[in-house]
Amino acid sequence: MKQIALITILAAAAFALPLVIGENPYITGILISVLMMAALSSAWNILGGYAGQYSFGHAAYFGAGAYTTLILLTIYPTLNPLICVALGIIAASIIALITGSIVFRLRGHYFGLASIAVAEIVRLSVLNFDFTGGAQGILLSDVSLWGLDLNSKNPFYYGMLLVLVVTLGITAYLRTSKTGYYLQAIREDQDAASSLGINLSYYKNKSLLISAALTSVLGSLYGLYIRFIDTSAVLDLRLSIEIILTAIIGGVGTLWGPVVGALLLVPLAEMLRSNLLGDTLVKAGLVSETSALGIFLKENLAHAHVLVYGIITVLCILYLPKGILGLFRRTK
Amino acid sequence: MIQDLLRISHVSKHFGGNVAVLDISFSVDEKQIVGLIGPNGAGKTTLFNCITGFFPATSGEVIFDTKKINDLRPDEICRLGMARTWQRVKPLGSLSVLENVMVGAFSVTNKARQAEENAMEQLKRVGLTDYASKSAGSLPIGLKKKLELARVLATEPKLLLLDEICGGLNHTETDTILDIIRTIRQRGTTIVFIEHDMKAVTSICDRIVVLNSGEMLAEGNPEEITNNPDVIAAYLGGGHHA
Amino acid sequence: MSFLQPLLSGILTGGVYALAGIGMSLVFGVMNISNFAHGDLMMLGMYLAYFAFTLLHIDPYLSLVLIIPTAFLFGYVLEKLLINRVINHPHQNQILLTIGLGLIMSNTALLAFTSDPKILTTSYSSSAFNLAGGISISVPLLLSFLITCVIITILYVFLSKSTTGMALRATSQNREAAQLMGINVAKMSAIAFGIGTALAATAGALIAPTYYIHPLAGHSFLLKAFTICVLGGLGSVVGAGVGGVIIGVVESMSSTYLSSDWKDVVVFMIFLAVLLFRPQGLFGNKGGQS
Ligand SMILES: Nc1ncnc2c1ncn2[C@@H]1O[C@H](COP(=O)(O)OP(=O)(O)OP(=O)(O)O)[C@@H](O)[C@H]1O
Ligand SMILES: [Mg+2]
Repeated sequence: MKQIALITILAAAAFALPLVIGENPYITGILISVLMMAALSSAWNILGGYAGQYSFGHAAYFGAGAYTTLILLTIYPTLNPLICVALGIIAASIIALITGSIVFRLRGHYFGLASIAVAEIVRLSVLNFDFTGGAQGILLSDVSLWGLDLNSKNPFYYGMLLVLVVTLGITAYLRTSKTGYYLQAIREDQDAASSLGINLSYYKNKSLLISAALTSVLGSLYGLYIRFIDTSAVLDLRLSIEIILTAIIGGVGTLWGPVVGALLLVPLAEMLRSNLLGDTLVKAGLVSETSALGIFLKENLAHAHVLVYGIITVLCILYLPKGILGLFRRTK
Repeated sequence: MIQDLLRISHVSKHFGGNVAVLDISFSVDEKQIVGLIGPNGAGKTTLFNCITGFFPATSGEVIFDTKKINDLRPDEICRLGMARTWQRVKPLGSLSVLENVMVGAFSVTNKARQAEENAMEQLKRVGLTDYASKSAGSLPIGLKKKLELARVLATEPKLLLLDEICGGLNHTETDTILDIIRTIRQRGTTIVFIEHDMKAVTSICDRIVVLNSGEMLAEGNPEEITNNPDVIAAYLGGGHHA
Repeated sequence: MSFLQPLLSGILTGGVYALAGIGMSLVFGVMNISNFAHGDLMMLGMYLAYFAFTLLHIDPYLSLVLIIPTAFLFGYVLEKLLINRVINHPHQNQILLTIGLGLIMSNTALLAFTSDPKILTTSYSSSAFNLAGGISISVPLLLSFLITCVIITILYVFLSKSTTGMALRATSQNREAAQLMGINVAKMSAIAFGIGTALAATAGALIAPTYYIHPLAGHSFLLKAFTICVLGGLGSVVGAGVGGVIIGVVESMSSTYLSSDWKDVVVFMIFLAVLLFRPQGLFGNKGGQS
């Protein structure tokens, strides 16, 4: 209950935020990315954090939503985008059910490995088929819904916020329900869980389906927002890893961990991409602009955000495996 | 009273070429306490695993409440009313003691509040009320054994399989657990009890089944078993520790 | 086209895959860790061979004499410094750590060597033996296959005859029991990771003359190596050897009869089929319970 109240308050604040910052497409864009990554990571967290089943292939579900939506809208431009979102959920659910039925009988490393294999099959198939736009990707010229101005960013800000709130709401509800307890029992010890009457594959599949469906909605929203997708943007292994990393940094298996992770990582990535970090170092006088290091930083830092992710991953696993929120969690 | 609540006939279990359990048959009537004893490696735990669906038996039949359960999954068997504890305790480490027991209780209710009430009741029964909000992983072994018991009781089993629930406990702890077991039986639960401590076994069991190297060595009431020369030989010969 | 041609090239390439697969399987067996940096270690091997050739003018196959000890040392130190700290962690943390290390390697390579693919062209790069029936065997492929056979033989003798080899196998079979027998399992882990790294780098160096050398090349090799390990049974060295050849042939056949665009899809489908029908792999003993 306390958590639901907190979600409501924060959602209200986030709702009002665009009114405060006014018309600033750059800031709004970053906020949309934060909300999207927070929601993606929260959706992953239901499966990975609560049920303990680490999926390394969540990009497949994101891509399923994005591609289903954009392919349908290119063929039937007048279709209501929400129908496309629903069909995206179905596509993602089919992929999830296939993955789940193959690997949830097995334990240990197999789910992680198989989730990557499935995601790669999806990625390569999309790349090789013609109707998916292949390597060129898909460009959507125009889209409309209820007369909203979909050229502005605000509708997408609220769309992402809505999905995030729903995801957090589902997570908060799960935590206090039978399903949530069962998922955590599966995470802690599968034999014990099974001996206490828990149908392992049913509950694993259930959490995978919830997680995949939410992820695909975010993929659809992203596709409608950017209106251009290709496999490297929506189906890449790197996206799957970014989703996990966000949860790890904030705190896996906690309600707010993914949100905290997104609040840290997305702006950091943005600072690297826009070379803000390099500029700051130079401006602060720490590095001279004309020195070899300064030139190197200026030229390369923008491409280095994945390298930085790698370093953060390693440091986080070694020194902060329970994430930032893990630090504050009282030991019972 | 139901005769043969559990009937095991000609159950064998092979691991590759290794025979862990060979042609075991016995049955358990309702409200009985049956002891299952034997030296280390005799196959007691393996037999439990066959009965509860963790390792399907290589051959033979397991019949529970007139239903053949060989091919059922452990969770299905649990929901039919047969539950087991683990010799190597398996607490859900990062959950609290109360939450551990609630997980058990959810097999009979879907409501969190009801599960919590049932769980608190079981905690009271085994004397863990004060530890309800502690994390299960942090308990000492004696309390973890009690938690195993509370958790499995919360599934409201008709038949309870206890695998060395007193193992590694001191005398007073063992006595408390034996007392709990007696009250459980009075309420109508049937129990199969694996234990090395002969005093504990003879004091509460109605019948005893003895395994040795996977085979059934003897079966009878406590007096018959303690006087059985084969059993005495097996225990003196085998590397038994109490 | 003759059916024998793709079969033969498949077997030759498969030998090199086997090398990579064996390295991964050894690490998995001894340490029970899925090494997601394995593909990137292969990529480093490719660059080592490339720079040995362009800067030091050493033939890529000859350069193995330098690459193998360097890579072993690198792997050994990596294990001592980082990997062993997560050896008792949940396996997802181990996976994430190796993913992180892989990202660091590939993206450092990206910064240092740029994303332009490099090509290692030797005097014999495009030469081939022509056999009867219009079948030809590429010289670099044949050479790398022969070297692979030699290395696998040495490894086999090492694992079955030497004290260290036997200790490695004992650790792989049962870590706790090995420790009780007085084997230094921590050292075995470091050695296993060193050998795994050396094998990955060797495989990378061996294919360098026939592939584009690129910082992100490790990615597709990683998944191939996993498929090989699962096919052979996670932890089974012999299985990985056979699995490598099978995957090489499958790839070559699907390129010939389907299209090279779909060959990886076929490989991953096999991966899922193995998980579905024979999760312990063709030769595995750890089953689906590790
Ligand atoms: N999963 C398994 N794989 C292979 N062999 C096994 C397995 N589980 C048990 N065994 C073997 O089966 C035999 C019986 O073991 P089990 O654990 O059932 O004995 P136990 O009577 O419970 O002994 P203890 O009193 O020590 O608990 C042993 O030889 C053991 O090594
Ligand atoms: Mg036992």
